[in-house]
Amino acid sequence: MKKLLSITLIVLLLASLFVGCTNDEPKTDEGTTQNETNKEETKDEPKEEVSTEKQVIKFAAQADSTPATQAVIDAFNSSQEEFVVEWVEFTNDSAQMHDQLITSLSSGSDEYDVLSMDVVWAGEFAGAGYIEPLDVKMSEAGINAADYNAGSMTAGNYKGKQYTLPFFSDLGLLYYRSDIVSAEEAAVLESGDYTYADLAAMAEKYVGEGGTDFGFVYQSKQYEGLTCNVTEFTKGYTDIEAGLETMKTFTEASWTPEDILNYTEGETHTQFTEGKAVFARNWPYQYGIIKGEESPLTPEQTGVAPLPNGGTVGGWLLGLNKNSDVAEGAWTFLQFVTGTEGQKIMATQGGYLPGYNVVLSDEEVKANNEMLQFDGFQKALTSTLSRPVSPEYSKTSDEVQVNTHKYLSGSSDLESTVAALENSLK
Amino acid sequence: MRKMGFKEFLFILPILILLTVFSLWPILQTFSYSFFDYRLNDQQKSGLYLSDKYNVDLFMETSDYVKFYLNGEKDVVDEEGAKIIGETIALVDEQQALFEGKTGVIELTGDESDKVGSFNATLEENINILVNQYELVNESNYQYIIEELNTSLISSNFTGLKGYSDAIKDDRVHNALINTIIFTIASITIEFILGLGLAVIMNKSIRGRGAVRTISIIPWAIPTAVAALMWSYLYDGASGVIAQMFENIGLIASSEELLLSSTGAMISAIMADVWKTTPYMALLLLAGFQTIPGSVYESAKVDGSGPVYTFFKITLPLIKHSILVALLFRTLDAFRVFDLIYVLTGGGPGGSTETMSVYAYKLMFGQTNFGYGSVIVIIMFLCVALITTLFVKVLGTDLMDTN
Repeated sequence: MKKLLSITLIVLLLASLFVGCTNDEPKTDEGTTQNETNKEETKDEPKEEVSTEKQVIKFAAQADSTPATQAVIDAFNSSQEEFVVEWVEFTNDSAQMHDQLITSLSSGSDEYDVLSMDVVWAGEFAGAGYIEPLDVKMSEAGINAADYNAGSMTAGNYKGKQYTLPFFSDLGLLYYRSDIVSAEEAAVLESGDYTYADLAAMAEKYVGEGGTDFGFVYQSKQYEGLTCNVTEFTKGYTDIEAGLETMKTFTEASWTPEDILNYTEGETHTQFTEGKAVFARNWPYQYGIIKGEESPLTPEQTGVAPLPNGGTVGGWLLGLNKNSDVAEGAWTFLQFVTGTEGQKIMATQGGYLPGYNVVLSDEEVKANNEMLQFDGFQKALTSTLSRPVSPEYSKTSDEVQVNTHKYLSGSSDLESTVAALENSLK
Repeated sequence: MRKMGFKEFLFILPILILLTVFSLWPILQTFSYSFFDYRLNDQQKSGLYLSDKYNVDLFMETSDYVKFYLNGEKDVVDEEGAKIIGETIALVDEQQALFEGKTGVIELTGDESDKVGSFNATLEENINILVNQYELVNESNYQYIIEELNTSLISSNFTGLKGYSDAIKDDRVHNALINTIIFTIASITIEFILGLGLAVIMNKSIRGRGAVRTISIIPWAIPTAVAALMWSYLYDGASGVIAQMFENIGLIASSEELLLSSTGAMISAIMADVWKTTPYMALLLLAGFQTIPGSVYESAKVDGSGPVYTFFKITLPLIKHSILVALLFRTLDAFRVFDLIYVLTGGGPGGSTETMSVYAYKLMFGQTNFGYGSVIVIIMFLCVALITTLFVKVLGTDLMDTN
């Protein structure tokens, strides 16, 4: 009897634990966007019968909360008879995805044929010789590098060889509450002609209005997002000292959350879309959430502007695994995704920012992606900052995160942090 | 003891083979990595090279690029330039023919090595002439391409003990080692005291003893990663129950301090570890208690020994071996702690909870720096060996006795 009791007790406890864990939303820890435009579930397509002649192409890409990625794959699969693409879904925690990819690629495996990479990995993957250079293939196919987003192309160019084409691009933006901020100040913001000190003054002035708790929210947790924010505050590491001092002032200010040092994109968009913050620094995907049904905040209350020193370029690139056994099919698929048709699907169904410039002026895309019509957004596209390109990027970024976080949380001083950062960026 | 003959030795052979394959081999492998500057993200260092080698694949790829770029210049050069381009492309073809049918990284013969040297020099010369005389389309790319040709030449990446001397000087290693030691000592001490108390309670014939034992083992039954995630929610500055509670009773100034200040994060990690592993400690000690025959206590009573005296003079010495085993297991566990820290704080804030394992993971998996990562692992291995020796020396002098 007693035994039975204790066994039931254990089973119950463990079951409750298990249930408790399965209800958690997956954490999104990433320095790049994670799009949430519409929370529609991707409907499982009926599995196509893979005939024996069709070559299978494995596509390694992050899970997508929009239907776009699946739609692109379906469109490609139905556009030709030769190949069939299978999507290997990775976690949204980009650091984990990086480590998984590296583990697979460094063993020389052909597990994945087409790889989706964060812009900051491309240098590392190229330097390690994991991915195929594309210049010769591009010139044979008549693809011109100038037709793509310049920042994304630079990120995928290593030692004079082009290794990637853009999957979608991304950049850091300032979101503001147009119903709180005055019209003339909004105009200043959208022109991009202001400093972080001006932003601080505005945040202090407006905090508390319209039910807000915070003046400005951004990302300061020790992860890739912090590197992006440091890049922006220090103007692409040209003025490290002033940038860090500003960050420290912001961290300690009364108008930022007390636990700002634990903020990722998730916390940022939650506070802003709940109407709790006047200003927020985030990626374009946040606009998709504001447009969505679940957001209390409406697009009418929101404005978009460039950040004072410009926004960090993010986004994802596509490359080919050197060891792939279906190289031809992989290249065909890569062309499809990065070309007009694929980019249009990504932009219209997922709200992603196209990396292929031709698509930017497409009427259908414009109609489906209001952001492209904003002056502030167009202005932001012209002032971008990039994180350091290096085959040792993850080491550099890790050091930037650790040292900055140490300084912001008060366990090291400005002087030694500046020295440490300069040392890491050498 | 009879002397061991060949037949008896055959019986022991399988265990010797198993030991070699499963414990000595990985250690030797890691050991050999630690003498090289071995990184997968650098094609000149992505192997263990003792002598100079040549990366044929990279050479083929890069020389194709030379041809590709030069072919793109046809429209911007005059006759003179076209001649130089033609000659250079022929030179590249000739060089490619030299390595026809070879792949991967190969050893060069003296003759080949000379040819590679003269080829690289001639190519650089020709391209410099072209770059200086004409407005080339791919101007910016040539310097990189020439660099890449030199990257194909691999020199030995054997560094000997340099990795170790770097590690001794590396602040991050010091920091990680100190964190690991603090974490280990603090959590083992608290666990041992609590575990001993728990074991004494579990050993008493109280009602519901089975239930107490069952319930107390639950924390140990939960996978560490899950427990760590659970605690990270409890400690969370914005929504954590425990963080809020501590703030209310005045243990911490504000609820964010638990995970966002360096001491707070360390204390949080230690608390989570203590919660999880105290039952394990208690169980190991309980097993020791169970081996003491009741008659011992009866004679102690007859001799008029009090409960405290009995505990320290009779119980503890009798369970010395169990204590040694429990402490040794837990110390080694705590010293290698990875999953708890990785999930709870990721080594943050600002590296203040980064332990040796977390640092080794970041080096090996995040940065694919296997050489230096192996150095850290070997240092950990030495520390673990040292700890084990100390424990056996101090607590178990007669444990390793052959008699």
